[in-house]
Amino acid sequence: MIEFFAIPGVILITGAALLVLIPERLRPALFLVFPVITLAVIFSRPEGYSLTGTLLHYDLVLMQTDTLSNLFGFVFAGGALVAGIYAYHMRELGQQVCALAYAGGALGVIYAGDLLTLIIYWEIMAVASTWLIWAKRTPETDGAGMRYLIYHVLGGGLLFAGILWHSVATGSIAVESIPAEYTPANLLMMLGVAVNAAIIPLHTWLSDAYPKATMTGTIFMSIFTTKTAVYVLIRMFAGWELLIFFGAAMALYGIYYAVICKDMREILSYHIISQVGYMVCAIGVGTDLALNGAAAHAYNNILYKSLMFMAVTAVMYSAGTSKMFHLGGLYKKMPWVLGLYVVGGLSISGIPLFAGFVSKGMVIDAAGYGGYETIMLVLLVASVGTWLSVGLKLPYFTWFDKPDYEGELKSVPVNMYIAMGILAFACIFYGIFPNALYAWLPQAMDYEPYTVYHIVEITQIALLTFVVFWWMKKKLAPELTTVLDLDWFYRKVAPATRLVFVQNVNTFFAKVEDGIQNSARFFARNFQNPMRWLNPLTDDKNEAKSYSPSMEVVMSFILLGFLVFAVVYFF
Amino acid sequence: MKTIHWLILGIIFVITLALEFTVLAGYDSHWWNAIPAFYAIFGFVMCLALIYSAKFIAKKLLNRDINYYD
Repeated sequence: MIEFFAIPGVILITGAALLVLIPERLRPALFLVFPVITLAVIFSRPEGYSLTGTLLHYDLVLMQTDTLSNLFGFVFAGGALVAGIYAYHMRELGQQVCALAYAGGALGVIYAGDLLTLIIYWEIMAVASTWLIWAKRTPETDGAGMRYLIYHVLGGGLLFAGILWHSVATGSIAVESIPAEYTPANLLMMLGVAVNAAIIPLHTWLSDAYPKATMTGTIFMSIFTTKTAVYVLIRMFAGWELLIFFGAAMALYGIYYAVICKDMREILSYHIISQVGYMVCAIGVGTDLALNGAAAHAYNNILYKSLMFMAVTAVMYSAGTSKMFHLGGLYKKMPWVLGLYVVGGLSISGIPLFAGFVSKGMVIDAAGYGGYETIMLVLLVASVGTWLSVGLKLPYFTWFDKPDYEGELKSVPVNMYIAMGILAFACIFYGIFPNALYAWLPQAMDYEPYTVYHIVEITQIALLTFVVFWWMKKKLAPELTTVLDLDWFYRKVAPATRLVFVQNVNTFFAKVEDGIQNSARFFARNFQNPMRWLNPLTDDKNEAKSYSPSMEVVMSFILLGFLVFAVVYFF
Repeated sequence: MKTIHWLILGIIFVITLALEFTVLAGYDSHWWNAIPAFYAIFGFVMCLALIYSAKFIAKKLLNRDINYYD
């Protein structure tokens, strides 16, 4: 029983339940205790530890550890801790509880050894994270949260259907590598995971909801949902070639939108899609180097992507908007936030000495040496776009461009700086000491990031991209626009969809109902008194209790006929 | 960006070119390694292409009024 409560996912979800009982002043501090306990548990469990249980006749593996799950478990628990520090000033109970339960769901998925345990945590994640959108309580977020929830319920449903089919077909519910066969069960499971991994065209929930969620909510969301899906893809779908092309397409698609969008949080949200694209692509390649690259990139991505989200959220907290149109010239007033953001920006763009360099190179090389040179070039284009959009455009138009920012600024709480500082330190640490990360990776490999070739490659790309940006930057100047995406099909076409699937169906059922009632009325009226049509000779008022003489005669003959027939037949 | 910044970037670029033609002279793992300064050209061309094509798509197809969905 003690062991059950020492499962990372259960610790955090129990913690979420306990938070409700804690007075408001102690809550943010207690929030941090649970991720710390989780980290302690992760370090204390030996690799290969497993905890089993039974549900009906299924043998469940409630917790199972190996190198891969420990890598993700560590960065998730650490991420929850740092995001908790960042949100220390935030006192809203609902958000705190849901953020912790959400982290618990994600960690539960990481350590789940069987698919039924996995799907339970999967759904907890979906529901808990929805509140981080709804908590803003505006009509806009009400809609976005509902669309997010529907999308994830659909994804969870597909995954669950796939799991059931898979368990019936193979008799196994273990979370294990699935051979690349396009059976309905496998495809259903993959579609369910693809929703959470934001694989295009199933990505719109992300770009729709993340920029609208609460300030601290987005930080948590940027850490867990997509990376959990990446983890499941590594576990179950490694080497599925289909993923290579979808991953490369995602990398490009996200970049285009990151270049087009003008809202800081929108840019970073689309950029998540691009970054997850690298990982999905590497998972499709499926070699040892590629899988290590996907895991390392997911790990690093949590560090620098949440750092960048934290920095823009600090600007948003301070200036009250995330639209770059209203910003600019902040470098004198928020120099530290700029510095911290730039660490994230340099990391994500894969500049040497920062974390992204040591993992992105693995993914790109894995594609190149795995026989996919075109894909490698596509990923390099995405690298150009990363540096252009989140490395240059976003900070330039937020902190520079204008001589000074003229609006009011709220001061940024210290806890935000602490959280960002921890992540910035981690980004630089892993950039300088890549072996600290490589030692944790699941597959054996021999990879050296700091070769002359790699440094020349990325330096040339970054320099020339910078030159073009500086030359063309007016073209990227912020404006106030809404940028359409595939969610247009269910947001703008919603009236048409409603007409076809709701109103037409309603009208049809109403017609049928009318028909039934009309016929019932018709029969009731006519069979109430059959005399009216059995005896056309009398008037309408002909009542059943008083037959006309002629009718009595007819009925008597009929009865007599029956009698005669009976007598003849039976005797 | 002051002149000194451009000068520093220029020096770094010259160093990478020097490295490419000395240390990496015999390096050949992809077909494009035969093209001199490939990654510089790649970065330049792709960045221009990205900006122009993104701008084109945005203008023709994607950009709408800020209150479009309200």
